[in-house]
Amino acid sequence: MRSYEVIVIGGGHNGLVCAAYLARAGRKVLVLERRSRIGGAALTEEVFPGFRFSVFSYVVSLLRPEIIRELELPRHGLHILPLESTLTPLPNGDYLAQWNDHDQNRRELARHSLRDAEAYDEFGRLMHQMSRAVKPLLGMTPPDPASFSLKDLLGLARLGRYFKGLGKGEFHALHKLLTMSSADYLDEWFESEALKATKSASGTIGTLLGPRSPGTAYVLLHHYMGEIDGVFRAWGFAKGGNGSVSQAIAAAATASGAVIRTEAPVARVLLAGSRASGVVLEGGEEIRAPTVISGADPRRTFLDLVGEKHLPGELVASIRRFKFRGASCKVNLALSEAPSFTCLPGPGAHLRGAISISPSVAYLERAYDEAKYGEPSRRPYMDIVIPSMIDPAMAPPGKHVMSIFVQYAPYAVNGGWSDARREAFGDTVIETLAEYAPSIKSAILHRQVITPADIERSLGLSEGNIFQGELTLQQMFFLRPAPAWSQYRTPIAGLYQCGAGTHPGGGVMGAPGRNAALTVLADGR
Amino acid sequence: MSSRAIVIGSGANELVAAHRLARGGFQVIVSGEGSDSGHGDIGWAPPQVIRAFALERNGLVIDRPDPWAAAPLAAGGRLELWCDMARSVESIRRLSPRDAAKWPEFCARMACLAGFLEAIYQRAPPDPLSLKFALHARLLGRQGLVDLLRLLPMSVAELLDDWFESDALKGLLGAAGVMHLAQGPRSGGTAFRLLHHHVGSPPGVFRPPRSNIRKVLAKLPGIETRAGKARSIAVREGRVVGVVLESGDEIPASMVLSGADPRRTLLELADPGWLDPELSRSVQHVRRRGVVARVTLELDRSPGFSTLAIAPSLDYLERACDDAKYGGVSRLPYLEACCDERHRVEVHVQYVPFGVEDAGLVERVVKALSAHLGGAAVAARAVSMPADLEEREGWPGGQLHHAELTLDQALWMRPVPQLARYRTPIAGLWLCGPAMHPGGGIAGACGWNCAGEILASRP
Repeated sequence: MRSYEVIVIGGGHNGLVCAAYLARAGRKVLVLERRSRIGGAALTEEVFPGFRFSVFSYVVSLLRPEIIRELELPRHGLHILPLESTLTPLPNGDYLAQWNDHDQNRRELARHSLRDAEAYDEFGRLMHQMSRAVKPLLGMTPPDPASFSLKDLLGLARLGRYFKGLGKGEFHALHKLLTMSSADYLDEWFESEALKATKSASGTIGTLLGPRSPGTAYVLLHHYMGEIDGVFRAWGFAKGGNGSVSQAIAAAATASGAVIRTEAPVARVLLAGSRASGVVLEGGEEIRAPTVISGADPRRTFLDLVGEKHLPGELVASIRRFKFRGASCKVNLALSEAPSFTCLPGPGAHLRGAISISPSVAYLERAYDEAKYGEPSRRPYMDIVIPSMIDPAMAPPGKHVMSIFVQYAPYAVNGGWSDARREAFGDTVIETLAEYAPSIKSAILHRQVITPADIERSLGLSEGNIFQGELTLQQMFFLRPAPAWSQYRTPIAGLYQCGAGTHPGGGVMGAPGRNAALTVLADGR
Repeated sequence: MSSRAIVIGSGANELVAAHRLARGGFQVIVSGEGSDSGHGDIGWAPPQVIRAFALERNGLVIDRPDPWAAAPLAAGGRLELWCDMARSVESIRRLSPRDAAKWPEFCARMACLAGFLEAIYQRAPPDPLSLKFALHARLLGRQGLVDLLRLLPMSVAELLDDWFESDALKGLLGAAGVMHLAQGPRSGGTAFRLLHHHVGSPPGVFRPPRSNIRKVLAKLPGIETRAGKARSIAVREGRVVGVVLESGDEIPASMVLSGADPRRTLLELADPGWLDPELSRSVQHVRRRGVVARVTLELDRSPGFSTLAIAPSLDYLERACDDAKYGGVSRLPYLEACCDERHRVEVHVQYVPFGVEDAGLVERVVKALSAHLGGAAVAARAVSMPADLEEREGWPGGQLHHAELTLDQALWMRPVPQLARYRTPIAGLWLCGPAMHPGGGIAGACGWNCAGEILASRP
């Protein structure tokens, strides 16, 4: 039997990124994936015959350019097709479109508000500036602010110098972004409801928070972060679905010698004293390795795979407090024809972009209000893409696949999720969509509805949170996932974390996987 | 006239600033704006201020209600939180022995953080990137530092859910996190508000006391008081030259301190042309949404409480805020009633957005309280809507804090970073009101810090 130096638990994109970096550094790496296919939440599946879906995550926006470059992902099959626009249909039959083309975008915004058209460029410049300020933090291992070790003190000093270097203006702008609600923040810039709503909606993704909740403004940056790298379009769609992101990373890993085993569910981490010595699979098989890296979320890693009796009480308490509260739902539709929106009937460039059901900030806030008391939104927010418009191979000729990201459907729904409940929510989604595209109902051939409970069951993401834990300020940077344990290490020697539950979090970024691999290598493992 | 300073406003902040400047050798004229409502001043008076002006010897009376908070329980009886920790524990135990057991540790952890803020509150806002600030924070120790970093951005609901299980207790404490704020207890940053109200109080007391500090300060010698509101601030060549009163009289001065909020000071009292457009825009964006109405009831006898809150759970508070988010008055508002010895009950009613009419509000408040008045009859009633509070108390937009005390408008960000050190781009014009660090609900700290900056900036 082959022996391994490193075992990575979970073949999601972060686990694969971590494995690829370690394999490239010459480590003998084994990736263990519970399901029959790798990819975790970045997965393409032929859910209905002939119709292929990015089942869970559905766009590529934040994948770190250095990872694409260093792992040579394009050579391994990654091809990103740009999403050109965002269309927001409005209840009055009008619409607001945001285009990548600057002049076209300006004309469209001016139709709604001259002031907004003027402010838009300046806003974009500020966001770019802020993204540049935040970007170096994503690749950084967070120093422990309470530690007295030389490394942490140096890290803190470096962080302080970095913020000082930003200058007061940028530091204060960053402070505002981190602490404000996206609605309040956008109110300072724009007046058009549809524009404010569509932008602020992105701040609530993955979190049980509304556009008026403080802390949501920061995520506005995410839409600007990729573009400045100039490597590829920020907001894109992977050819072949998001599963091809995972496939490309896996190909990079195996090309460097990593071994990937599917249908190999890990039951627990093997310990020898206070050190990790391998893993036990659910079937009882033991696989030994001196270094084990978990791509599972913090709750599963610490409370299930390790077990609280092996951990300090303080860490256990922190992990128990760590908030998941998944509230995102996914509806995948197989369509007999392309949808037609009342505001822009028939085919057109707008169908090649995203379509956002977010007519006003109050609409989104009401959707959140229902969810915070445990009810699915009656009029949910939706972010829709039609991948087959860009990549025809996703559906049979003339037919289409539609991917609908929906909020809010709280994990802890009153009375719990059931099949009936799930389908009822699916109906709500279709009814809401039909208000803007009436022909959609008769075009549906198949429908797949995935609730947070389904996400938890099929992917093992606690409470169905797509980011492995809410991305709020109190769960970020040196607090993610727990104070003193935000540096990818754990109290168990040889056990590391590499999932989105660590800094800088989720969104198919790959950064946690890369940072974890660099930490493991720095530790001389 | 070269060392003459005019202070606009006669609240605790303005008077503290006036006296501190007078001690520093300035000739100080206080130009009264706003009236004394006679309710007493809510707010912790910083020890530095009390010491500097020997306020205790001059008749300062600090009134700390005990119990400081009480809530009626559905099952009968009341939850009462006292200044005496053991009595609070006893009261909480009837609801939940588990919560009672946790109360002392919760209070100790919060008191540690409040102590950190207390030090920060008594001087101009720190530079967050300075070594001094970093060292100061490190003195909290690992537990304190982690608590601070976690707690600041948190919602008060999340904080309380971490610790307690009783809805009544969480509702009562959560109310302190949202008081005077246009947000609900599930909004991030409200845990910080709970801490803000705790500063200066003993462990386990999350409500600032009342005092007669304004009256005491007004009687102290050393400053001159001029009746009449300020109409404008006269500026020539970028420098303050005096204040024009409503009567048309101009008082020349080389320095003016304004207790009014920055928007009124810089865009109304002074000519907005002196500001660069970017600062002017930031000042216009300072959020100051009023959400409180005040209902006053005269009772024929004692209702049997000194303080009583209707905030039975965090969800109750959140729902009350939900109505206001869409521009309405809370159907079931959060109420905080205080009764004085003449059986006059003053009720804090939240959320009542600025500019919204609600003819039935007083009736709803009376109805909500009727079961708790111990059979006393309501002899007279009056209501002050946010617009009335703006008029009578000088709260811009009905907002007590002048600028909502949220994390993006606190500390070095208060009210906007360019103004955080009390000075303005107009030479000689300073800000000393509650829109400045450390904010409202603290008697005199903004004025103390402002005067400190002025004295330190003298050549």
